[in-house]
Amino acid sequence: MSDQPVTTGHDDDDALASEFVLGVLEGEERRRCAARVESDPAFARLVTAWEARLGGLDVHYDEAAPPARAKAAIDARLFGAPPAAPRWTLWSSLAFLRGLSIAAVAAVAVLAAVLVNEIATEPVPGTRLVASLAPVDSDAVFVALLEDTGLSVTHIAGARPADRDFELWLIAGEDAPRSLGLVREGAAPERAADFAAQLIEGVTLAVSLEPTGGSPGPGPTGPVVAAGQLKKI
Amino acid sequence: MPETGRATLLTPDGISKLIAQVALGDRRAFDDLYVHTSAKLFGVSLRLLKDRHEAEDALQEVFVRIWQRADRYAVSEASAMSWLISIARNHAIDRLRARKPTAAPVDAAVDVPDRRPTPEAEAIAGSERQRIDSCLDLLEDDRAAAVRGAYLDGFSYQELAERFSVPLNTMRTWLRRSLLRLRECLQE
Repeated sequence: MSDQPVTTGHDDDDALASEFVLGVLEGEERRRCAARVESDPAFARLVTAWEARLGGLDVHYDEAAPPARAKAAIDARLFGAPPAAPRWTLWSSLAFLRGLSIAAVAAVAVLAAVLVNEIATEPVPGTRLVASLAPVDSDAVFVALLEDTGLSVTHIAGARPADRDFELWLIAGEDAPRSLGLVREGAAPERAADFAAQLIEGVTLAVSLEPTGGSPGPGPTGPVVAAGQLKKI
Repeated sequence: MPETGRATLLTPDGISKLIAQVALGDRRAFDDLYVHTSAKLFGVSLRLLKDRHEAEDALQEVFVRIWQRADRYAVSEASAMSWLISIARNHAIDRLRARKPTAAPVDAAVDVPDRRPTPEAEAIAGSERQRIDSCLDLLEDDRAAAVRGAYLDGFSYQELAERFSVPLNTMRTWLRRSLLRLRECLQE
């Protein structure tokens, strides 16, 4: 009968390990091999050796970029985050971007823009507009998110000089820039709520470098370091 | 565009290091590992499963396993990428085998002459791994095609037997002998 116990001789085991790695076994036979990999170190070593031998074929697997949502789903399963919640994805990704020791800020800016586009494809109630603020003659990158709860801005890249503050500006059409307040870690720009009605799709958000405490005048006095448009989700 | 998701960004050593950090529960390392290896592992899942939706599910499962089993990488002799790809292949093949009713078990008592008693546990050097294609070229064309079809496309003995129009046991003999010859060739 076909389902005889697998003999335990080394060569039979080696042949079995090779078939297991090749992937041709089915059903009970495959399950038994998988169980032996867990419980039998000698057999596991045979399997590892065959994985190394046949691994030369791995170059024939072409790379394919998985959809962005895949990572969020993995994190949700592993770390218990709410599934497919863009805000969570955004913040964790921002943390990731900030953690990168990438010299090329342009790369971070592109990643931030990609991220914003990804968020835009997975709308969630409560999140309305996003903007990726790309560097303007600087290395500063920000991402802005407008939710039902208000506007938040995250500083992703580019150092802030010790005696300067980043100030956020709303630029709508031909109007003069209006200050939304300073960009502070973990705090909403203080005047953003006053301009809720003007924070609509297509307006530009810009960040300028100002003296500590913000611009002394009605408009920006320092250079604009980053800017981007609010986009609909 | 930055080349995110490309394994080529990191050396094998870099990937090993990331896996070691993941074993310690380092989520940033996990994110990094995903950036550098997910395209390859998704490619593996896609090639085997031939279905984007299922490959996406499979990729999730693969990275969950990587997170959960990273501590076992340290005790494995496998190279980092080979270890990761093995996880992806194993999972995809499990899914393939679960798709349809299991075929009758193959007769295990196939007589394969053994000319090579046991040198074992040797690490397979990188140069040897690159030689596999030239070793496959030494096999008869249909044997080599069967090996590639099994490894790269996940065909079972049953499917290979049907594709090559030979009895199941013949296919098993083909492959067992082919694998023995491959092992010899790679050891030379």
